[in-house]
Order: sequence, then C-alpha cells, then structure tokens
Amino acid sequence: MTGIETFLVEFLKLTFLSMVPFVLAGQGTMLGGRTGVFNVAQEGIMLTGASVGFLVGYTSGSVFVGSIAAMLVGGLFGLILAYFTTTLKMDQFVVGLALFFVGTGLSTLLPKLVLGITLTPPLIPTLKNIPVPLLSEIPVLGPILFNQNILVYISVLLSILLWYLLFKTNLGLRLRSVGENPKAADSLGISVNRYRYLTTIIGGMLIGLAGAYLPMVYTGTFTELMTKGRGWIVIALTFFGGWSPLIILLGSIFFAGIEVLSYRMQVGGSVIPFQFLNMLPYIGTIIIMIFTFGKSRVPAFLGQNYDRERRTL
Amino acid sequence: MEQTTILQMHEVNKTFDKVKALDNVEFELKSNEILGLLGGNGAGKTTLMNVLYGLYKMDSGSIILNGKPITIPSPKDAIAHGIGMVHQHFLQINNYTVLDNIILGTSVSRPWTADRKKEKAAIEELCKRFGLEIDLDAYIETLPLGVRQKVEILKALYRGVNILILDEPTTNLIPQEVDALFETLKIMVKEGLSIVFITHKLREVLHICDRISVLREGKNVVSLTRKDASDEMLVRAMVGEGMDLQKSVIFSESSKKIITTKRETVLQLENVSLVNSDKINVLSDISFEIGAGEILGIAGVAGNGQRDLAEVVMGIQTATSGTIKFMNEDITQSSTKENISRGFVYIPEDRLADGFLHKASVAYNLILGYHNLPPYSNKGIVNWKNVNAASREMIKKFTIKTTGPDDAGGNLSGGNIQRVMIARAFSQSSKLMVAHNPTRGLDIPSMDFVYKNIFEHAETGMATLLLSEDLDELLLISNRIAVMYRGKIVGILPREKFDKYAIGRMMSGYDQESK
Repeated sequence: MTGIETFLVEFLKLTFLSMVPFVLAGQGTMLGGRTGVFNVAQEGIMLTGASVGFLVGYTSGSVFVGSIAAMLVGGLFGLILAYFTTTLKMDQFVVGLALFFVGTGLSTLLPKLVLGITLTPPLIPTLKNIPVPLLSEIPVLGPILFNQNILVYISVLLSILLWYLLFKTNLGLRLRSVGENPKAADSLGISVNRYRYLTTIIGGMLIGLAGAYLPMVYTGTFTELMTKGRGWIVIALTFFGGWSPLIILLGSIFFAGIEVLSYRMQVGGSVIPFQFLNMLPYIGTIIIMIFTFGKSRVPAFLGQNYDRERRTL
Repeated sequence: MEQTTILQMHEVNKTFDKVKALDNVEFELKSNEILGLLGGNGAGKTTLMNVLYGLYKMDSGSIILNGKPITIPSPKDAIAHGIGMVHQHFLQINNYTVLDNIILGTSVSRPWTADRKKEKAAIEELCKRFGLEIDLDAYIETLPLGVRQKVEILKALYRGVNILILDEPTTNLIPQEVDALFETLKIMVKEGLSIVFITHKLREVLHICDRISVLREGKNVVSLTRKDASDEMLVRAMVGEGMDLQKSVIFSESSKKIITTKRETVLQLENVSLVNSDKINVLSDISFEIGAGEILGIAGVAGNGQRDLAEVVMGIQTATSGTIKFMNEDITQSSTKENISRGFVYIPEDRLADGFLHKASVAYNLILGYHNLPPYSNKGIVNWKNVNAASREMIKKFTIKTTGPDDAGGNLSGGNIQRVMIARAFSQSSKLMVAHNPTRGLDIPSMDFVYKNIFEHAETGMATLLLSEDLDELLLISNRIAVMYRGKIVGILPREKFDKYAIGRMMSGYDQESK
C-alpha cells in the first residue's frame, strides 16, 4: 500500500472509532426529543458517565461493570430531567442546563473522593478490538469496518434497530406521536408521561455510556472536561440528523471525521496553529447548522411540556 | 323504537382557577338518539363533555353508564367504556397518514412489523358502511378540514364507540359538507350509536337533533325533545333574560341597518398580489372596493389568504404588486402607523400573538396603537389621566371583567381579551375597519353588541372589511360577500344574491376547478 492509502485506511478506521460517542449520545438525545423532551445536559451527563465509568471500571477491574455503572448514572440524570419537566412541568432548558452544571461538577469531584489526589492517575485497560471472522480479512474495508471494538458494532446496530422501532412498529408510531402532538396522543389513551419518562431515561443511559467510552477507548483514565464539547456538538448533530436515527449515524461519521482530521493535523506537525485546528469541529458545526437549521424537521412539540388541563385561550 | 337511558351525569361541578365552569350540571343520553347540547361560548358544553371523555377531572359529581356508576380518569378509560369524542380542534398528527392516525393507540395484529393490511381492510369496510370516502394513505397535513373531520369520526368508529361526542363539528365546514356530515350521523344512529352534538347554532340543532339540552353559564337551563322546542324558547334559554331580542341584530330582522345606497369609495384594491418568503403566491390579483358605510364580507375556508389580505390592507405586509387606494390616495407603500393615523382600525385574527400584550396593563392594551395620538398623548408625552379615564369608560361600556385599568392583561380570559380588542377598535372614530373573526370566543349578547357597534360606526361612514370563517355571521351583516379561495377572489355577491350553497361551492374551489 502506498503512503496515502495507509493514511486513508488509518483515517477512516479512526473515524469509525471516534463516531461512537456521537452516535450513542446523538441517539439518546433523539430518543427523548422524539417524545418532546429536549435534553441539553449531554456535556454534563457524558462527563459524569466518563468519570463513573472509569472509577467503577477501575475499582471493579471490569470495563463492562464500569459501562453498566455509567449507564445507570446517565439513566438517573434522565430520570431527574423527566421528573422535573413532565411531573413538575418546569422549563426543560433551565433544568437541562442545571443538570449540565451538576454533571460537570460531579465528574471532577468523584475521582477526588474515590482516589484521593494522585500525581499519576491509575489506568484501566482499554477496549480491545474484536475482528469479525472472515469479514475483517477483506482488503481495505476489513480493517476499517470489521476490526473495531464492540461498541462500534453496537452503535451501528443500535442506530438501525432504533430506526426500525421508530418508523416500522406500532410502538414507534405511538412514541413519535407523543412528540408530535401530545394532546392527540393523550386523547387516544397513550400515556404521554410514561413515554417521556421511558425515552428520557433510556436516552440518559446512552449518553452516559457515550461518556464512558472516552476513558475506555481513548485514554484509559479520566481527565477533567475530557468530553471537550462533544456533548454540545451532539445537540447540533441531532438537528442536522433531523431527529432520525440513520441520518444521525451519518452525521456522527462526519463529525468524527472532522475530529480525527484536526488531531491528525496537529500530530503531523502542520503549519496551522493547533488552536485553530481545535476549532475545526465547532466550525464544522456552525457550517452544518447554517445549511440545515430550519430545514430539518423537528418533532412539533420538542421542548414543550404537556399539561392535560391547561386551557388554550 | 323504545329508547332507554344509557348515560347519566349527576351534579357535575368543575372550577377553573376561580371560575365556576360547571355548576351542578345534570346530563342524560338515550340510546339511538342525537342529542343537541346547545349554548353560547363559555356555557360549559365542551367542559362537560371533556369531563365525560376523561380530559378534565370533575370536582364532584357522578357518571352512570348503563345503570352502573363509573369513573373516567383518562381518555383511555372513556374509550374502554365506548365513549369517543371529535374535538373542535382536531387532535391529529399532521405528518402521519390517515391510516396511522386512525390506528394510533390501538393494538394491531402485527405490532413489530410495518404490515397494517388487516387494519386497513377493516377501516375501508367502515368507510363503506358509513359513507365516508377517504384516501387512507394521504398525509393529514395535505387534507382539507372537511376530510380531516371524517378522519376524526373514523377514529372513533374504529374504536367501536357506542357514544360519540362531536364538539362544534360544523365550524369549518362548507354547507355541502355539513349536509354530508348529517347524513353520516343519521347512518350512525341507525347502526346503534348515540350522538352528542355540541353546538351554538340553533338551526343545526332543530334540523338534526332528537332531543336538545341547553346550558348557560355552566348551568342546566332546559332539556326537551325537538317536537316541544321552538326557535324562540331556545334562543331565550341560550341568551338569558338580560337580552332584548327585539332590538338584537342576530334575532330580529328589523334592527339590521344594512346601508344599500351607494356612497363614495373608501378603500380600493386593484390587482393586489403578494408573494411570501417561500415564493408562494398567497394573494393573487385581488380587486375590490368598499364604499363608505358598507360592510364587505370575506368568506373562505381558514388559510386561503384572509390573514394576508388583512395585513396587506393594514400595511403590516407590503403588496408585491398592485395598488391600494384609500380615499383616492395611493397607500400601497404606507406603514401601519400612517394607516392608523388615517383612521384605520384592525381587529387581528390571532388576538394573542398580534393584538394583545399579556404583561402590560389593561389600560395599555386599550390604547395600544393609538397611544401616540390625542387625547392619549400630546407631542409624545402620554397623558395618563386621559388614558385612565378613557380606559374606565371602555371597561364599563364593553363590560370587560377586570379589576381596573391597572390589572395585568394576562389575568383576562379569552372572551374578555376579545372584548379589549373590540373596545380598542370602537374607541376611535374610524374610517376603515379591518376585522378578522371579530366575534370568536364571544357569547351571543356580546356578539350582538359587536354587530350593533359595527352598524353604528357604519352609519357615520366607516367602511368595514369583515373577514370571517363564520358564514352565518357574514350572511347576517354584510352588504356584499367576496369569496376567497387559494389567495384569489373567486366571486363577489351582493346581498340579494346571497346563497349559502353557492358560497359553499365557491369556498371549496369547485367552480374554479371545473372551469
């Protein structure tokens, strides 16, 4: 293989590796949004997920147990968001921002409580690649697609599964109706609150897992603010993806691609200052937003609470 | 046929904040009947039925179905008891197909696949049985209101309801569609259903209902069979003792002051077109004129460009082409502010978004738009003494329920907000009034009050452009009616040629498409 080919294969392999947090958090956000709950606490939930995932993984010695813990704590954030917005009917954006701050603070506090202050942070083993038999032998495509860690496969399968559930099944029909017109759904005996709780909690779990992916794959340890704004980018991603699982998957590949590119260029000793390269994902976000915002279809009741007895004037 | 009582509601009470919406209401429904639930706005008809459908929780009272007491804490329970409801504002998912809207919330034969053949066949069968023709694969947002109502009815039928509640079902229908709806209702009663027909329209009740129950201000007034009912006693029951029927515009022929003699032209539109930001022709080639003292009614199904027409005349939007003249002066490019100083008044359709400030005081709201004109201000300084005096006078004259000029606008109910709109409009000695659904949300005496005021101002030479979705209102007070369809005026009829069905045909675009 020539140099450029090696570079491309390596680039695409890393892109698929890096898309996972975007996919998981994106689908989690999409799921809540589809019933009308607009989560803006991704950054905080991801950080807490990263922190808890790492700590539990370290103390238990199992990355799997760490992931489960990250999901549980993410789900807890989802539960709190659902309780404050659907039961107490508080403003979704305000509650979401509050949860972001709680999550960010918690993520740095927890390691200090559990590990104390250490100069050399402990490490957990990172996820191993699992080559798919036969498929990973295919030239070029094999190493890019079929020699990845388990969560890469899971995030692709999850996206397809969610698409099928939302758009092809009776469950999906009901679920989406809650975000499109909760009053109509309610009048047909669909429990608006139940669907909102369910999707917000599962969404929180996915976002928590997205956070845990960072120490489990990239660094082997938790560092402060290690999400680097990925949570915020995910919000743009869901709008770009039209709140649709498959387009969110594509969007995740795009954002991951920009992210890998900016790292590659820094490592490659580019003449462009690294501060500028760090900006790339955000510039990409702004460009995407300019072209898609307002055009992509949003669930009609996104971000709005529903109160059955509120009379419209 | 022997009719048995299937449903009773006893001593139902419901309070919203401090307003008593239902006061010890009794309700009875028999098998195989169409019951008319009659009353003006705010009478409590819809509230009572929302309680029955589980949307509102009653404060006290009981429901007895087929002799057994039941509770209905949510719509799900209502459906389980065989009670269905078609709301005035359709509860549909706009970007779903008709089929998906109908099966939504029901269990299907193959829930984990996209195969809905069995359900589709069952619904097609229902369509045939009840004479409801409809394309099940069409998306709701593409359908006219008449068809969307059929979807609502099918939703209820598909759930196998025995009792169907229809809330003001004829509101957005053209007369032809009303007739078709009545045919369907008759078939349904024959098939064994009982129907509650909520309306404020007397004629419909006398036309279709077997029995009639009248509510006023949240209380039962009278219940009787159609045989025992007369126009006059129902009117009296609906409006109460306080209204003088002989002097009313709505019920008395003699008090209509339709001015027929042609006077000088006040407003003239010549080939006015408007292209919106999506490059869609929302108004095309609109031409008409209104004389002093004349009321020109604009009929049309909601969303055919009425709002844009009102806004172009007021100067809120500027016409893309064509000219608008006021007293022979070209005002096509004039701003709203300039038009208001010329003597334009506007009652906007969406009072909450375009006409009212919730956080401002009632006095603020009453002078809004005229705040820079005398007597409210002098050289840019507001004279609060005059404003408060004028506000108190308007509050009294228009019976606005508020604690006073300093009360926050947001404390007012919908009907009272509409009264503020009306008071503001009639507080000026205006030359041209643009009124869009001016009586929406008002009870009958208030509607009458509005009509009287329009006539009074018309006598002083005010020209009126009345855009309304209530065809009866237009037929009642307009000198001429222009019909709008897809941004065009498809015909203008003088008063002697008013014909409900002809107007209905024009509203539906039937005449357009056959050409």
